[in-house]
Amino acid sequence: MTSKPNFLKPTNLESPGAVPFWEGLQAGKFLAPRCGQCGELFFPPRSHCPECLGDSLSWEELSGKGFLYSWTELFFAQPEFDTPFFLGLIDLAEGIGRIAARISAKTAEELHIGMSVRIRISKPVDGLALYYAEPSRPES
Amino acid sequence: MSVNRKRAAIIGIGAVKVGRYPEKQESELALQVIRDALKDAQISSRQIDGLFTTPDLQGNIGLQTNLLCEYLRISPRSMAEICCGAIAGGLTLKYAADEIQAGRIKAAVCYGAVREGSIGWFKNLSQGKGWSMIEPTALQPYAAYGIIWAYALSARRYMHETGATEEDFALAAVRNRKNAAGNPVAAFAKPITVEDVLRSRCLSSPIKLLDSAASLDGAAAVIVVSEEAARDLSPHPVYLQGWGLHHDPSCVIPTDNCSTSISHFKATREAAKEAFQKAGIRPEDVDVAEIYAPFSSHELIIPEDIGWFQNGEMARALRRGETDITGRIPINTDGGLTSRGHPWAATPLYETVNIVRQLRGTAGPIQVRGAKVGLMHCEGGMMNNGLVMIFGRD
Repeated sequence: MTSKPNFLKPTNLESPGAVPFWEGLQAGKFLAPRCGQCGELFFPPRSHCPECLGDSLSWEELSGKGFLYSWTELFFAQPEFDTPFFLGLIDLAEGIGRIAARISAKTAEELHIGMSVRIRISKPVDGLALYYAEPSRPES
Repeated sequence: MSVNRKRAAIIGIGAVKVGRYPEKQESELALQVIRDALKDAQISSRQIDGLFTTPDLQGNIGLQTNLLCEYLRISPRSMAEICCGAIAGGLTLKYAADEIQAGRIKAAVCYGAVREGSIGWFKNLSQGKGWSMIEPTALQPYAAYGIIWAYALSARRYMHETGATEEDFALAAVRNRKNAAGNPVAAFAKPITVEDVLRSRCLSSPIKLLDSAASLDGAAAVIVVSEEAARDLSPHPVYLQGWGLHHDPSCVIPTDNCSTSISHFKATREAAKEAFQKAGIRPEDVDVAEIYAPFSSHELIIPEDIGWFQNGEMARALRRGETDITGRIPINTDGGLTSRGHPWAATPLYETVNIVRQLRGTAGPIQVRGAKVGLMHCEGGMMNNGLVMIFGRD
């Protein structure tokens, strides 16, 4: 077990517009809000719909699938992180948003821009469950 | 209708050598460069009625103008401490020019002074400082150090789309270093080779130490007056011919959709388009340019966005020396962010100081022969916003 958290605590853990998302991760679900006013499904979660600024939101589970848009290997990070590690920029398969996520790869050779990835959810550390990405295994 | 009626003009410049000034207050660095700029303009501090500056990053409440007004014994009729990321230094010029063109003020000081500000910003990142641009759900959890990782993701995507290599990026770092040797206010003068860059410590692949801007102390100031005043006061005024400003609907990395590019940037393109249109010139009319590239990868991306090259053409242009001092579009003749050094809030003003020197013909060993039209680009976030200014001798 590593003693480092390997993440930074986001500033919106208690923001009304984001609480259902973080609670969803605790329950093993990757959720996105849908606007009750205009119907827009959007990501990342916000207090107000970016399309119409409505604030009545319901929550839907996404597929957890995505594509690698870009990646980097970090050798230099804050003390909260073990280095090196791979960070991927992931396009959600639903086409509605992008996340920067640690990607579980051992070598750079495993990573190819455009490849399919799965969004996984880590075991809670300090009460926070977090998303990360895993290269999809080819269907056999 | 003439677009150039009541232009603003720069008649004075001052800048300290980029480096480390642990013993000085930010206000002392500011006073030093303001004094030099006033002397260069041959005007007295009593003539200053506008004061525009960049954010104080040491955790204070943002009232450096307060101290400065007393230290300089001036009573501005217009003043602002402008934030908006690293573009702020450029915005001081824009708002000073606006106030001059509106007839509200006659002579403005625009300055930026940085002492360990950026270092504080990085140090405090995990405590939430500097996070206002980093989307909390989609980016913050793994925002592991400053925003190097964001530029690395951008650089990798650019490589994927254009076939550019780490060696191509290194060529830009080498060009900048060569230029910096001829700039008296640059931080780094020791020559480097492509091999040195490729072998330097990897920070966030593909970005290595010598691909990166050094966060250092510095201060620069510029005196802005009206066109009429400039003609009376200055033997070599430099006129603001046009500018363009744009903010894309994105934060440091666009997280709100899957279609916004991070290999090229719309804000830079829109700002450049507007600036060329307002100045009534085309990209190829520019004789000398300063661009705001915190990493060598973006020395390739930004010139393509401004319009001097098609996407992916910069690698070949670097190899052919087309952006060297003697090339068809000399870029970052003062060493750029990577070799002049990067006291970030003051950086756009350093860029402007070099453009003014170039257009006056006083840039010494880095002089571009016969330079008449200069371009200054700066940005905030990761090219989420952009400001492009066109300067001319007449």
